[in-house]
Amino acid sequence: MTTASKTATYKLRYESDDDGLRFQDLTYEGNFVGLEPVPDGILGDKMMRRRAKTGVLDRVSKDEVLREQFTLDELNDLNNYLAWNIWDVLVMRATEGVSGMIPRQEYEILAFMHEFYRWPEILRMTTDEAGPQGVMDIGATARREIGTKVNCVHDWCIGAAGFGMGRCGLLALEAIQPDDYVEESNDILKFMQRVLWGKRQDGYILNSQDRYRCRVHEQEILDQLLGELEDFEPDEPKHDAFTRFNAAATLLAFLDHFDSRLGLGDTGPYLLPDGRMLIVRDLFTNEEEFHWSDVCDHEDVPHCYTAAVVIDAGAMGLAEIRVNDISTSFTRPKNYVPYITGGAVFVREKWNTPMGEVRPVALDELGAELEKLQQATLKLYGKLARMPRRELITNGHWVYFIDMILPHLRLAGTYEKACRDYDLWEIDQRVSNYYYEITKRKFAHEVVPTKIFSGKGYLPFSEKADLRRSKYRWL
Amino acid sequence: MSSIIAEGYNAFETEKAPTGVVKYLETPSDVLALIRSGTLKDHILLVRGGTTTFLAPVLSMGATGILTMSGAPESHLGILSREFQTPCLMTIGLTDSDSRYEAGNPDDAHFDAIVQRLDGKRVRLDCEDDSVGRVYLAEHGA
Repeated sequence: MTTASKTATYKLRYESDDDGLRFQDLTYEGNFVGLEPVPDGILGDKMMRRRAKTGVLDRVSKDEVLREQFTLDELNDLNNYLAWNIWDVLVMRATEGVSGMIPRQEYEILAFMHEFYRWPEILRMTTDEAGPQGVMDIGATARREIGTKVNCVHDWCIGAAGFGMGRCGLLALEAIQPDDYVEESNDILKFMQRVLWGKRQDGYILNSQDRYRCRVHEQEILDQLLGELEDFEPDEPKHDAFTRFNAAATLLAFLDHFDSRLGLGDTGPYLLPDGRMLIVRDLFTNEEEFHWSDVCDHEDVPHCYTAAVVIDAGAMGLAEIRVNDISTSFTRPKNYVPYITGGAVFVREKWNTPMGEVRPVALDELGAELEKLQQATLKLYGKLARMPRRELITNGHWVYFIDMILPHLRLAGTYEKACRDYDLWEIDQRVSNYYYEITKRKFAHEVVPTKIFSGKGYLPFSEKADLRRSKYRWL
Repeated sequence: MSSIIAEGYNAFETEKAPTGVVKYLETPSDVLALIRSGTLKDHILLVRGGTTTFLAPVLSMGATGILTMSGAPESHLGILSREFQTPCLMTIGLTDSDSRYEAGNPDDAHFDAIVQRLDGKRVRLDCEDDSVGRVYLAEHGA
């Protein structure tokens, strides 16, 4: 355990004039060339929102969210903010380089571009079927459920990946121009806004707008979780059992989602009456739509484990906690694990298991669950190690392209229709051809990261852009 | 006396100071062979990337310490090493060289130099600092 300062100052982060801590030394410029560089964190959010031309990044009303489309200025404000937000959560992760196993940079950019082309039609169909209010209601289900993929990272990906990074990649590939696909951009971003607003219901859409908080669960759900909580001291066997289980489930959740954050979903921090804080962590260890999850089936691994993680922020000397928009918690100091003093684990067998059938697992019984997780991890690793590169890229592509909107389509009742009538599980011919382009001129490994993570690739829509515009010519 | 041979981002603060012989793992076959050898705990693992999947089985089975040549605490491997409480230094660079990893600019010579210098050496990791972790050449038996 570290011997750093033990004075917890994290509550200062929630005072309106506080600018938060810096988690990194880098700064962001994006489309604001010549202006003061923007840092990460709370101060970065403030600066980006001050630069917006419209009120779309402030707390917005339900009527505004139900409005059919964004104005051009609102689209540009969202484009600029998402570009900073992507940088904020991913710029350091982006330094991780090659996987040694899964060609992630390749499958990521292919999926992003595919999403920008194909999602608008499917999201429009889903909005037509469910109605704008119905899309907001899908977001709202996350307030009453655990083990749901209607969560920060999936909801964020609709706009940040499908619109932001997809459009950015296509612009970098010179496959589109900045004023192409304006109408489709609106369809994607409206869907994202409705889901996120419905989930948060405080007028914001992103955690970064709320000082990196995502306190969406209703008290009734929190009370159920806390009712199963087991307290322990850091040197007790229960601490070891709980933290080892949490780590092993996180590992399999990443692996089942091809080394992506889609397997993990944190919400919080929820402050408890005794001064500690709660993080609710969904770990999606078996996605039935992925054929490689058969090894998880064989080990009887459920769709999702939910861990209620209680941290003694005072003993830790917590200075800041961020539950960011890709559902991951980071703290300063970084190591919160020794300060976990309570936990509970729940199992949701299938994605649609009713909340009343979600069952708790006592910490003394986690050994059997840990064994299942370890066996499934080993088997999945062996399976992935035998896959050729092309297959790894294709499967990673499916994870992003399908899974990022799968939870929303499932709840809207449009997933089967999207598969049957919209060829969801097909790769568009344009994107298939890009497979051969992305390894040329270091596109996937150098051009894309540079454009995406510098913020320079998110070109604004021009003043001449037409809100009705799609793309009509390839010249 | 022992000397600092490399430095990198410290994935998380810990008083653990693992010692072991550095083993460079290049392919999934290397990872599986290490597990089969039964010597996992004897080694500090050196890998090129900062992602999780490549090291998944050894994380699960309790690696002693990890060194990466790219990545950051926010990378998946950084997150997982924290959750497993496995000391992990990321994007290490040799202290007697100015060569440093740049994202999006993979330079094999940079990686090769680190592997050549560390692979097979007995080292100790210092992970107490909140940002920088250090790799010491360990005396025999340390």
